[in-house]
Amino acid sequence: MECEGNYVKAGRRSKEEKKVFRKQLRASHTLLKHEGIRTTRQPTKSLVVANGGLGNGVSREELSAVLREMGAMENLVMPPHKPFAFVTYRCEEDATNAHTRLNGQKLLCAENSVVLYLSYVNSVTHQKAVAETLPQGLVLVEDFVSPEEEAQLLAAVDWSSAHEDVSAQKALKHRRVKHYGFEFRYDNNNVDKDKPLPACLPGECLPVLERCLRDGHINIMPDQLTINQYESGQGIPPHVDTHSAFEDTILSLSLGAKAVMEFRHPDGRVVAVVLPSRSLLVMKGESRYLWTHGITPRKFDLVPACESQSAALASPDVRTQSGLTLSKRGTRTSFTFRKIRHERCRCAFPSACDSQRTTSPSPASPPSLPCCRADAALLEEEYVHRVYDAIASHFSSTRHSPWPHVCQFLNLLAPGSVLADVGCGNGKYLGVNPELVAVGCDRSGALVQICADRGFHAFVSDALSVPLRTASCDACISIAVIHHFSTQERRLAAVRELVRLLKPGGQALVYVWAFEQEYNKQKSKYLKDHNRDSSPTQNSSKKTQEPHGEPDTQRHSYYPAEDKLSVHTNRTAFNSQDLLVPWHLKEGNKQDGKDSSCRLSSRTDPRPGCDSSREATHNPDSKPCSDTSGCSSAPVFHRYYHVFQQGELEQLCSQVAGVKVKSSYHDQGNWCVVLEKDPSLQMI
Amino acid sequence: MKLLTHNMLTSHVKGVTKGYPLLIKATEVKVNDVDFNPQFVCRMIPKLEWSALVEAADLLGHRQDLPSELVPDYEKNEDFLKKVHRALLEVEVIEGCLQCPESGREFPISRGIPNMLLNEDEV
Repeated sequence: MECEGNYVKAGRRSKEEKKVFRKQLRASHTLLKHEGIRTTRQPTKSLVVANGGLGNGVSREELSAVLREMGAMENLVMPPHKPFAFVTYRCEEDATNAHTRLNGQKLLCAENSVVLYLSYVNSVTHQKAVAETLPQGLVLVEDFVSPEEEAQLLAAVDWSSAHEDVSAQKALKHRRVKHYGFEFRYDNNNVDKDKPLPACLPGECLPVLERCLRDGHINIMPDQLTINQYESGQGIPPHVDTHSAFEDTILSLSLGAKAVMEFRHPDGRVVAVVLPSRSLLVMKGESRYLWTHGITPRKFDLVPACESQSAALASPDVRTQSGLTLSKRGTRTSFTFRKIRHERCRCAFPSACDSQRTTSPSPASPPSLPCCRADAALLEEEYVHRVYDAIASHFSSTRHSPWPHVCQFLNLLAPGSVLADVGCGNGKYLGVNPELVAVGCDRSGALVQICADRGFHAFVSDALSVPLRTASCDACISIAVIHHFSTQERRLAAVRELVRLLKPGGQALVYVWAFEQEYNKQKSKYLKDHNRDSSPTQNSSKKTQEPHGEPDTQRHSYYPAEDKLSVHTNRTAFNSQDLLVPWHLKEGNKQDGKDSSCRLSSRTDPRPGCDSSREATHNPDSKPCSDTSGCSSAPVFHRYYHVFQQGELEQLCSQVAGVKVKSSYHDQGNWCVVLEKDPSLQMI
Repeated sequence: MKLLTHNMLTSHVKGVTKGYPLLIKATEVKVNDVDFNPQFVCRMIPKLEWSALVEAADLLGHRQDLPSELVPDYEKNEDFLKKVHRALLEVEVIEGCLQCPESGREFPISRGIPNMLLNEDEV
């Protein structure tokens, strides 16, 4: 990419200088707060260049051209997806020169312009050099077809007779698809094996396939071909090719332009593979059956800056000077050859196998709101229980500060009161008032284990059926629990169960996540922590759904139930009541929160009594790339929530006999009620 | 699972009316060291099902000659309170199960934690 090297000179007035200085300070502060990068006023040989990062759409070539003009540049580190870079000069004078001349200056690049802010740093943080290998069973063969063959193959595709309506596809900005041999159906992710297509594989493909046979990549000729054409900005979501539809080896020929394909293992490992134009990708074994593969819809990929030994792998290697750079996407056409499978799949990866898994739903389809109890239970199993068990330790490390209002409720109870904490999580509230006889229960065995490790009394159970005797508790709390139930009946049943446990005159405190995150013109901490400063320019592929209508608060009608559940963007306002909220699992988290990422999290929110996220939210990820491609290497879990509208919780409780709402309030993005069981109730 | 927890737990299998107390079948029992707080123990006693506690402690071999019925003026009897403290808060069932006295359904105790989850058909 050419860099114009155009500098817009800042004015010499001191007012202008002060403005630049202020902005530079702000940039420094953001770098410290979110990345742990410490800047210093004293000149050194190294500088951090804020806004000069790959995450800002600045390429290595553009930035280094400018920096080299300032002096003898020794090293340039551009961490992927980050909004900054580090430059080291041979001597301090050169660094000072760069600082003086570039700070506050606009850098005009091919695609955008950024204002650079430079600060001195004492050290340049290096990333761990991860030695990555390709997923097992994956082979990439470069230069598999000649440029002439590439042109022939591309010309052989007759898009006019493609099954999809081409104009509709273009309108939706969807990639173009054409099938030969058998049609792949996207509604059930399988093939109609009894209905072969009239068009069999084009003759132009024959020499290529024979070459694959001869080179030993396949033993049998494929009988199905899917051609995908991706324009810049288009992609395909991560998926595993249906086991029962196709035999083991899958061949994919990349033509026209290169692109980066990401392979994801269930354990969270991600390997980014550059697919050069005219290369053949052979997927077998684990890479075909277990790893998902996908292409993130974007206009630029991160690729190695120089064609070196790790050409195939797009991972940073800080030992070499080259590192990564941006590569603009062109139109890439892939020819994917597969052999139809006629008997059941008997692979060694049953967890991803549709032949061997009998009860699982299709993984490709997003969940919808359940219409019956069994569906509700399944949805909650998948999007609540399994998630909490998987994230328990990380979750617990972010749940350390009890909320003041809840503590107040607990501290006002008479000493010796019996308290049940239904949905106790990591036991955060069980020790708040040591005078209480407190017992907790949670659906997650992993979380209950944490309670036990802390010496609390806890057991595993469901909130809909708590194995405690009726009227055995002086008080109950249920903090950030009921919003995980996916039907109104279940939420009501949960409240009823709480009330059942109460002695007459006893009180229950219920907290649920509020749809209205802003209340009395005050944004909740959940919203306030949303970082606006250094959001990377790249967007992650989100499973977005159609937008919903506006709420009709006048009539107190709640949002109509959406067909499919949408995935929420962390730390933004809600636009639906039923949704999936991402949780980014941090690796290597210890329960005691000593991990640096945890420290960073708790540092951003030192105020007592407030989790850096609230009880019901996900990780207090202080990094700006909360749910963007910056953290794509961490596994993401989705938790189901039904967020409550104002008045909805009260209305729910009013349907329970023998109980009345003593108080109701909004607390940091939650709707809260205190219920009191009728003191005059006669217990059997 | 400590005996305080056991004292509160009941069987919630559908249709069961006499699900309390659950029978303890322990294969591994541990005794911990927990700070003794006489006032706390004192306040806890009226909230307990005394006979269930004594039976359970007896079964586990930690009855320590606790009486079958509460004696008056126990509040001042530090010796007594210490025994209650031990039975209630220090004795812990690590492995075993809890059995519903009516249906026979067993709930496993593993790593000190009782798993009281019911199957779909038992709810």
